[in-house]
Amino acid sequence: MKWYLLRRLLWTGVATLVILTVTFVLMDLVPNQRVLEAQFQAAQQGVDVETAVQAERERLGLDRPTHVRYFDFLQSVLQLEWGWSYEYNRPVREVVLRKAPYSLMYGLPAILVSTVLGIAIGLYSAVNQYTKRDYVATFGAFFGISIPNFWFGIVLLVVFGSVLGWVEIGFNPQLAENAAGNLVWLDTATASHPAFIGEEVDGPRRVGILSPGNLKQLILPTVVVMTASIASVMRFARAEALEYVDADFVKTAKAKGVGNWRIVGKHVLRPAAVPLTTIIVGRILGLVLFGAYVTELVFGIPGIGLASFRAVLTQDTNLVMITVLLPTFLIVLGNLLEDLIYVVLDPRIDYGDR
Amino acid sequence: MTGDDYKRGATPAGDDTDRTATDGGAGGTFETVEWDDIDRAGPSRRAEAVWILVTAPWLVCAVQVSLQFLASLASGGGGGGGSLAPLPVVGTVGPVAWVGSALALGTAYYGLRPLRRSRIATLWLGFTGVWLAGVSATAVTQLGDESGLAAFPLLGVVTPVDWLWLLTVAVLVRYGVVPLSSNRRIARYYWRQFRRNTAAVVSAIYLVVVFVVGIVGARVVPEPSPTPGLESQPPAFVSVPSYVTGVDCPGGTRMEGGTELCQGSLAHPFGTTGAGEDVLRAVIHGMEVSMQVGLIATLISLAIATAVGLTAAYYGGYVDEVLMRYVDIQQTFPTLFLFLLLAYSLGGSLFLLVVIFGFFGWGNSARLIRGEALQRREQLYMQASKSAGASPFWTIRNHLLPNVSNSVITAATLSIPVIIIAEATFSFIGLADPTIPSWGRIISDGQGQLRNAWWISTIPGLFLFCTVLAFNFVGDALRDALDPRHGGEES
Repeated sequence: MKWYLLRRLLWTGVATLVILTVTFVLMDLVPNQRVLEAQFQAAQQGVDVETAVQAERERLGLDRPTHVRYFDFLQSVLQLEWGWSYEYNRPVREVVLRKAPYSLMYGLPAILVSTVLGIAIGLYSAVNQYTKRDYVATFGAFFGISIPNFWFGIVLLVVFGSVLGWVEIGFNPQLAENAAGNLVWLDTATASHPAFIGEEVDGPRRVGILSPGNLKQLILPTVVVMTASIASVMRFARAEALEYVDADFVKTAKAKGVGNWRIVGKHVLRPAAVPLTTIIVGRILGLVLFGAYVTELVFGIPGIGLASFRAVLTQDTNLVMITVLLPTFLIVLGNLLEDLIYVVLDPRIDYGDR
Repeated sequence: MTGDDYKRGATPAGDDTDRTATDGGAGGTFETVEWDDIDRAGPSRRAEAVWILVTAPWLVCAVQVSLQFLASLASGGGGGGGSLAPLPVVGTVGPVAWVGSALALGTAYYGLRPLRRSRIATLWLGFTGVWLAGVSATAVTQLGDESGLAAFPLLGVVTPVDWLWLLTVAVLVRYGVVPLSSNRRIARYYWRQFRRNTAAVVSAIYLVVVFVVGIVGARVVPEPSPTPGLESQPPAFVSVPSYVTGVDCPGGTRMEGGTELCQGSLAHPFGTTGAGEDVLRAVIHGMEVSMQVGLIATLISLAIATAVGLTAAYYGGYVDEVLMRYVDIQQTFPTLFLFLLLAYSLGGSLFLLVVIFGFFGWGNSARLIRGEALQRREQLYMQASKSAGASPFWTIRNHLLPNVSNSVITAATLSIPVIIIAEATFSFIGLADPTIPSWGRIISDGQGQLRNAWWISTIPGLFLFCTVLAFNFVGDALRDALDPRHGGEES
């Protein structure tokens, strides 16, 4: 088993290296923003363009041989020195730290709720196969996997924002901050708080991540991200659970008079959970992260996804690279975690084989 | 093979001791081999000699010209590609002519061998020949000349995506429609299985309509173009305040409660976008784009996945290990994020999207197909084929592949909806080719006008949603109908 864990960790290292290498090659193809700028300036000032470009390349270290730059790149990424973001005019790491909480605010609840609810509905559906409720759940799952995230977000905004007027169409990031502009869990603020500019405010109001106003504007994005993943989890959970619903050990348990809840929880869920973890991490995590990327765009949430999108538009190469690498590494980590959970969930797994 | 065969099946196995299955042939005897017939079926010596006499000089010229072409490419540098050298008698021969003559020689060679070949096989051979010729001509002009893609007589300019699309549709006909129409009994059996699922039948009809309207409509209906004055026209039977729309209002205006309302007209049944593009036309053109992306990329990825999965399963051992480790490595980088980076560094286009999803999105399918093939590998028919001396390719193609085709179709139904949504998403965030009338692009056009002009985003989105939903329903029903493991479960 130690050998298995060691191999698994080594593999994660290989995967990381592959991802970083592909990224390095692709990013090397993009013309450097700084060099282009220098070229432009030199042309404007009437200086010799060639020498100006050469000087800038030397200053940035771009004239060094490829392998030197490659190792330099690996080192800096792994040491969390992610370079400078020209759009935000501060280090990329700071930008990411500033933006990440907004992505987590709706992403974490969405992933947790969809996993738990998805598995619960899937199990329920499997146990009550071919009943009306099963059909309703199955149809709901089809709806969930078929509706494009970004369009669902738009439709919800039209219905609840424009038609019913229950939520604001624009996202107000200041609602999660205190008056000084720092993220807080819960605080009270006066009318001078930047979130309430242009509004009639009487008396102190609550701000912060857990404040009612902030939670309200997070509902729709959470629902959108949740829909797709809940449907996928549910379908896979149902399919996996069906394999065990008629198994001999389940019949034995029933014959012995074990309660329904206990059968589902202990005799169906546990064997079904092993392949489920693979599916949830391997197939769904990537879709959820990418869906979140677009959801932020639709709702205007200033998280990692929106930052990445704006970086693409403004050619902020360092920021693009890191914001794409982050979710990719999350998936790699998720895969590692999944294989480690295997050990706990299924003692029968033969480690020598893998 | 007729009456005798039937009797053989009807008698219990123990009765006919002299006609066991191992001695092969109909009625328990080997067929007589007519070697003279087989000899006569080959090309005559003289015809072959003439063919060689023509081909040899052609080959010499082709090699010489291509060498010169490569040399001029290497030395030309910034001169905009290489140039073709003139030949002694015929002068300069253009790329299209080269490919055409190659095709003619190839056809002549196959024509010399009047082997038994069905009409369908001949047609297919002809089509692939023409297709290959066209693709090579396009590739040659694109590589050698900066002036653009080759223009063909009758067809005009054919883009790389169009070539792939043509091949995809042809493959669908050749390996989907033709076998089903020639084998009615099996087709009826599948239909009976499939018919049980009403949602799937409705979905299939919807998909066929989208497919046909998309292909025909994209060629008949002109592309939507921005029209000043016709901005944000509401759909038919809907009216919005006049200040929302452009200055013109073909549906007429009316007054209600002090505001002037602009009514929708049947000239633009789905209204127009904020730039004055007709939404209906955009929807029709978007149909083809969605179908193209979903089907082409799936075809490419399935072809690779099947080849890799079957090879790995058939050979096992080191071949299996190497191929599957490669799949692991490829899957470390999720396709969606890989395309995001590529679109940033190289610029997104429909062709790039199809190629990336086709060539890097086959990992899961390959695993699925390999898993199925591993079980089939141990079957008796595989052993029989091997011991009869069949080559690995023959065994894989004729015995392994047909028996895992269920898994291949399952993999296809899982991948098409994902790719269609991915394309729409990339068009929505503006990382795809902005000149392509994709549904995602129209949805993003309308995003800024949700309050006033809801139809711009919602109508194309509804089509996108229905298409993906229909593919999922059909896929589910196909899996039930084809997969023996799930057969009869859902009835």
